[in-house]
Amino acid sequence: MLKVESLNSGYGKLHVLYDVSVDCDKEEIVAVVGPNGAGKTTLLNSIFGIADIYSGSVKIDGEEITKLPAHVIARKGIAYVLQMINIFSELSVEENLRISASYAKIPDIDKKLREIFEIFPILSERRKQRAGTLSGGERQMLAISIGLIRDPKILLLDEPTAGLMPLYVDLIIKKINEIRKERGISVVLVEQNVKKALEIADRAYVLVSGQIIFRGSPSDLASEKEIMRLYLGMGE
Amino acid sequence: MQLPLNEIALFMTDFLALFGVYLIVTISLNIQRGLAGIPQFGLMFAIAGGAYITGNMATRIAVWILGIKTDLDPVIDCTAVLSMVNPMLNTQPMTSFILILIYLAIGATFGAVLGLIQVAPAIRLREDYLAITLLAFAEIINVIATAYKPLLGGAFGVQVPSVYGWAGGYRYGVATLAILVIAAISYLYAEYLERTPLGRTLKAIRENEVAAASLGKSLVKYRAIAIVIGSALCGMAGTLWTLYGEYVTPTYTRFYWTFLPWLMVLLGGIGSNRGALLGTAIFVALDKLIIYYKHSFEAFLPFDVVWLDYILLGIITAIILIYRPQGLLPERPYIPKDIRKRIEEKIKQF
Amino acid sequence: MGWVSKVEIISLGTLISALTWSSILSLMAIGITLLYRTTKVPNFAHASFVTTGVYSATIVSLMGFHPYLGMFLGFILGGLEGLVLFYAILEPLRRRRSSIFILMIATLSYDILLYGLLNVLADDLQTTYKILARMIYYSRLDFSIGGVPGVAVISLLALITTVILLYILLNRTTLGVALRACMENTALAQTLGINVSLMLLFSWFIAGGIAGVAGALLPFYTMCGPYIGMLYIAEMFCASILGGLDQIYGAPLGGFLIGFAKVALISVLASFVGPWITEYAPIIPLAAMAVALVLVPKGLVAIKIRRG
Repeated sequence: MLKVESLNSGYGKLHVLYDVSVDCDKEEIVAVVGPNGAGKTTLLNSIFGIADIYSGSVKIDGEEITKLPAHVIARKGIAYVLQMINIFSELSVEENLRISASYAKIPDIDKKLREIFEIFPILSERRKQRAGTLSGGERQMLAISIGLIRDPKILLLDEPTAGLMPLYVDLIIKKINEIRKERGISVVLVEQNVKKALEIADRAYVLVSGQIIFRGSPSDLASEKEIMRLYLGMGE
Repeated sequence: MQLPLNEIALFMTDFLALFGVYLIVTISLNIQRGLAGIPQFGLMFAIAGGAYITGNMATRIAVWILGIKTDLDPVIDCTAVLSMVNPMLNTQPMTSFILILIYLAIGATFGAVLGLIQVAPAIRLREDYLAITLLAFAEIINVIATAYKPLLGGAFGVQVPSVYGWAGGYRYGVATLAILVIAAISYLYAEYLERTPLGRTLKAIRENEVAAASLGKSLVKYRAIAIVIGSALCGMAGTLWTLYGEYVTPTYTRFYWTFLPWLMVLLGGIGSNRGALLGTAIFVALDKLIIYYKHSFEAFLPFDVVWLDYILLGIITAIILIYRPQGLLPERPYIPKDIRKRIEEKIKQF
Repeated sequence: MGWVSKVEIISLGTLISALTWSSILSLMAIGITLLYRTTKVPNFAHASFVTTGVYSATIVSLMGFHPYLGMFLGFILGGLEGLVLFYAILEPLRRRRSSIFILMIATLSYDILLYGLLNVLADDLQTTYKILARMIYYSRLDFSIGGVPGVAVISLLALITTVILLYILLNRTTLGVALRACMENTALAQTLGINVSLMLLFSWFIAGGIAGVAGALLPFYTMCGPYIGMLYIAEMFCASILGGLDQIYGAPLGGFLIGFAKVALISVLASFVGPWITEYAPIIPLAAMAVALVLVPKGLVAIKIRRG
């Protein structure tokens, strides 16, 4: 589905990622974890054509998307939910969703809206409200919905639980898992909350200082005590 | 074509004088932008201020120091007053010298005050607001200078005492020398400033205002210091240029006294004094050559050559920004000697 | 008694003049604010966009049409100048992730370039058509409605039309909603498949065009030359800042405050202290801006929003 091969990328002269290879199969949740500043967001930015790629390739279903501009990549069945500032706070909840859907050329937007509101009923209640007035958890739900309404094959999520109350963290993680199962979407999940991410992930990558130092199943990762302790702050 | 020797000398004096004045201005810009990060788009304000205050006060002060008794107004009737002042100054090099120092002090002080006035409304604000305010305020100096007749006698300008008159035929040489001395002092001062704690603080603020503020460095205070130092230099540049030409009109323009210095600094590399030196030399030489060969151009062009200046310099700036934004001689990080030694030792250990 | 006499001091003519200038200034300021919203850069080249409008009116009148029709040519030429500035200079700089400060210098340098070109044009018009191309003034070609000069009506209409069209564009069209999305959150807009550079390019065309329209009206109000844009650039920014650089519809508010302050206030002052004070009129907008920056740096519109 998504295949990133020996990627070197960064911003201008600032080289961030070194020979990073990541892939994500159909209906799979892949977690990318690692300490702050490891380059997790840069990885997503590189996939989406926002960071500068020096070498390597990014493919979706075998189609090369390396170095395409972001707005073109957005039409390749891939949705990217940014970290933190990921909604139009001046616009209403419904306007946010409608803009996103209209640019994804969704034929029946109203039907899609109903689907989204079934997944996140709270958004239906807030549909006329200015998005800037939503609570942190509601914002994240809206942000994910903005991506979801585009009917993507792949969803890139950048720390969807950052700064949320534990209650919301559990809810969001649960929803991500449901979405994958019910709609058959592949998810690349970048997370600080390693424990939660590994609960739903099929496979995990650990990114440290711009390099992949581990790839494998969550259970294998859990047994790598050294990595868990040094880089992920888990363990004793 | 054979150039007569004294014509070459004249060309060189003229070149060096303009170079010196512009060097003071570009050094000032380097301190304000390069060191403190202030987007000074209104350099012209303090330069014109220094020039105009010299025009207004120079004759008045000379009359007072020389003890001349007259009822004539030193600005409106400057020609008549100067016909008394200049012959006396021509025989008194020492008095002339003291006068130059007084004028410079006045130019520097007035420039510094103008700088503070100019930056005051936006001193706490972001870079873009600051740039707009500085530019907008600079635009009013000519409005005032033209409207307020007692300042410079209106649009026609005013003459100032010939403080280099005692040197006779060498007066322009001596005037140029004076400019170059001040320019050299400014250059050395800027180099020194970079290495002081003040210079380092300014750089820290330039790089990250928030981080510097969190270390207890007051943004307002240090911006004000940089503006005062820079504007004082600009004021002196205005004074020196007025004394060199012995005449001043309210015609200092944004193109020559804000845009050109910016271009010089950009070409040389923002924050680098060597760069400012190089950029200034290149542009002043270009300017002088264009003026010198203007007549040969004019035959081909259906319009005034001066507009070609604007068009070309506009394009050159854009090209520098896109292809060489760091300039020809970019700023190098300054690392104090003791720290450099420690780093070298560490490297040896590995 | 005092109130009545003060009202009489401001003659109807002064009020009309203030209205005209406010409308034209607002048109100039709208573009600056729009560009600040989309590209986050104060556009110093706006001066030359306006001057281009002046010479559009001149060219149209030399072609035998009424100089008011210069508004249309001004819109196209000003728009094209904006287009070129963004596409040839700002977009490459943006792609290099240049700082806002570099972008500001870039607009300044483009202004200098255009200023040179406009002067060449003026020289050329002067020699070719034997007109005073540095003293463009069309007041005598203006019509009048019951003693009110046409330019007052046309400027106000141009401003109202512009604001309405801009509102429809930004709120009722897909293109406009996308543009608003870019203004608010460039990164997010990008991830939704909106071509951000194309949207910004579009905003530069619109803003340049509006400046061109304002410029074409200017020779009916005052004597113009190639310097005219530079003369008013400080005032344009004052209006824009007073309205709030972040508030598109704040620009007309700033424009009217500055315009009336300058024209009407100075005439009141003149009647008290003497006509010499009118020469200092350009200081009023700056003073207003200085006060605004200290008291409400986000602009006047921000006050209302904070309360509401």
